[in-house]
Amino acid sequence: MYFEVHQPMRLNHFSVFNIGADHASQSNYFNQKLNHEIFKKVAKKCYLPTNNLLLNLINEFDGKFRLSFSITGTFVEYCEQFMPSVIDSFKELFATGAVDLIEETYFHSLSSLYDNLDEFEEQVKMHRQMIKRIFNYEPRVFRNTEAIYDNRIAKKVGDMGYKGIITEGTEKVLHWRSPNYVYMPVNANIKVLLRNYSLSDDIGFRFSSRNWPGFPLTADKYAGWISQADGDLVNLFMDYETFGEHQWTETGIFDFLNHLPREVLRHEYLDFVTVSEAVDRYQTVGEIDVPWAISWADEDRDVSTWLGNDMQVACFNELKNIGRKLKEVGNDDLINTWRRLQTSDHLYYVSTKGFEDGNVHAYFSHYDSPYDGFINYMNVLQDLKEKAI
Amino acid sequence: MKIAMIGWEYPPFKAGGLGTHCYGLTRSLADRDVSVDFYMPKTKHNANSDKNNLVIKEVGETEIFPYDRPEDREIPGQFFESVYRYNDLIAEKVKGNYDLIHCHDWLTMKAGVALKEKMGVPLVISVHSTEYDRSGWLYPNDWFINIEKEGMEKADRIIAVSHFTKRVIVDKYGINPDKISVVHNAVYPLGEGEKQNIVLFLGRLTIQKGPEFFLKAAKKVLEHGENTRFVVAGMGDMFPSLIDKAVDMGISNNVIFTGLLTEEEVEHIYRIASVYVMPSVSEPFGITALEAISAGTPTIVSKTAGVAEAFKNCLRVDFWDTDEMANKIISLLRYDPLHKTLAREGKREIDLFTWERVADKTIDVYNGVI
Repeated sequence: MYFEVHQPMRLNHFSVFNIGADHASQSNYFNQKLNHEIFKKVAKKCYLPTNNLLLNLINEFDGKFRLSFSITGTFVEYCEQFMPSVIDSFKELFATGAVDLIEETYFHSLSSLYDNLDEFEEQVKMHRQMIKRIFNYEPRVFRNTEAIYDNRIAKKVGDMGYKGIITEGTEKVLHWRSPNYVYMPVNANIKVLLRNYSLSDDIGFRFSSRNWPGFPLTADKYAGWISQADGDLVNLFMDYETFGEHQWTETGIFDFLNHLPREVLRHEYLDFVTVSEAVDRYQTVGEIDVPWAISWADEDRDVSTWLGNDMQVACFNELKNIGRKLKEVGNDDLINTWRRLQTSDHLYYVSTKGFEDGNVHAYFSHYDSPYDGFINYMNVLQDLKEKAI
Repeated sequence: MKIAMIGWEYPPFKAGGLGTHCYGLTRSLADRDVSVDFYMPKTKHNANSDKNNLVIKEVGETEIFPYDRPEDREIPGQFFESVYRYNDLIAEKVKGNYDLIHCHDWLTMKAGVALKEKMGVPLVISVHSTEYDRSGWLYPNDWFINIEKEGMEKADRIIAVSHFTKRVIVDKYGINPDKISVVHNAVYPLGEGEKQNIVLFLGRLTIQKGPEFFLKAAKKVLEHGENTRFVVAGMGDMFPSLIDKAVDMGISNNVIFTGLLTEEEVEHIYRIASVYVMPSVSEPFGITALEAISAGTPTIVSKTAGVAEAFKNCLRVDFWDTDEMANKIISLLRYDPLHKTLAREGKREIDLFTWERVADKTIDVYNGVI
């Protein structure tokens, strides 16, 4: 099991009248009040209680319950700024030895899609330093933002020395093959762990859905499904906020999690591994070839969630152009702000995808519509661009 | 099924959304084998129908328009009397075997109630706007409210053009929400034209439609250095004061007042406008927004407008927040991808807002009472 832990830095209302205005400093870009409120709310509903539950379960099963986390830099900054107890509880979990940490870009960005991968590499290194500083650990497995993956990214991550990389187990890549094995890229020496999206989404999306045949989902039923799965391992990857935030306490999600280790370990041939242990234990069974980027997002499982319409592409291009200018000038403050604006969520809010996905998007957005998201984000980028010259 | 519908206006003559609605609704009802006799006052233009089971019956003359206010007319003493006289006339002229009576807004409600009692058939009323909307919630006139309240109470079923209006009917008129159905309006799509650098307001120049907020936003846009023209299309009691205001604000060079436009001119201006703004203080639905969007024009609507609750691909603002209105106008003029995406997605969504759908939902309501 692996959980993604992330919070974006949401933007203030920023109108065209703010662009280039004297009082518009970069610190005005981010809505610290809203960010603080949301962080506190999610910490109370999800991070603290779930960490506590996991710690008890690890102790109860004497380290046989094992899991992994990927924690973004922006999330850690929030912890340090608003609620250090949250990062302490992650440290406590890590200290059990039953928890592994995964690398990603510090800013949860789309820098892996830039024309050259220097910025991507820098952001990965920033994450590595952050994990080293807080946990005194060097992750061996990498997961890119929203599991975005293609051959080029796999090659780069392999070259940077990681042993494993995580992405979506989509049929687009696997065709008839099962996600429950370890694969390798056609062009790189690294092991690929593929998310079993069906079993993962049973928890992440469908858990409380009453018109789903699997409802109500109990731990013993779910463990039964896992035991019947083919292959070497089942990768269950999901947003950490699934627990208590996307699925509220009232849905019984914590009871489910509480019973899961016992029900899984009841099956003779099942056990838990961290992602590092998975890449050590299992040999690859075949190659995957991914010339076009895939991801774990939406029904499309590609990058159209962030780059699916003209508005998103315009922002993305603007972001890249500003970066080029800033690096020429070399202003560290502005570069840091620019990086915070690279967090993929800013583009996610601008998605105009169809009704089904649109509902999910609306749930996560603080804007009235993707159009408002675009106006605000683009206005901020215009202001940063003026500052860059 | 045969129904008597009592309306006020019908193309080619129309002063507002009510006429557009009656036109689209009656034609689609006729296509669904509902026979409609549509009663309306005589006008200079002859309204007629090319459908066998839709008959337009003009029943005598009156000087009152549905959007009139007694204080604005030169016939203050006669206003109320004229309304009564017209309703009596209708009640007398409507004859035949009908399954139900369907009337629209306050002006014909008295006749509707009288006919229901005389003929013993159910009464359905559509509420396109209430006195609260027309007065901009400032000084609602009890005389209208009482007529509306009586009509709503005696009606067997009420059709509201939005959830917003349904809430007004429940909260302000004390009507049981269970007898109110919401049916959102529709549009016959206009098709796109060659866009020019024009930001458009189109509607009656009354307090309800918020034209002064449009001027305030225009000033902010112009001060910000955008070189664009603002067109104020339509007529109404605020016409002279708005012209003075534009002069006082120093923006009269960039603001064009067109006065009343013909149907063709309206369609043309929708097609060539780059942005349409509907800053209504109170807007039960706002068909004009659908018309603009169907012409490929990105549209900014008041948050409380009925269309804002029904239509996704538009921009929403508080009518009083002219800073944000200006922010959105400038963004639309400046950011081409925003303009293009809104135009494209808006036109796609418009295809869901058909009069066939309105007719189907209206027939559902009819079936519930006969």
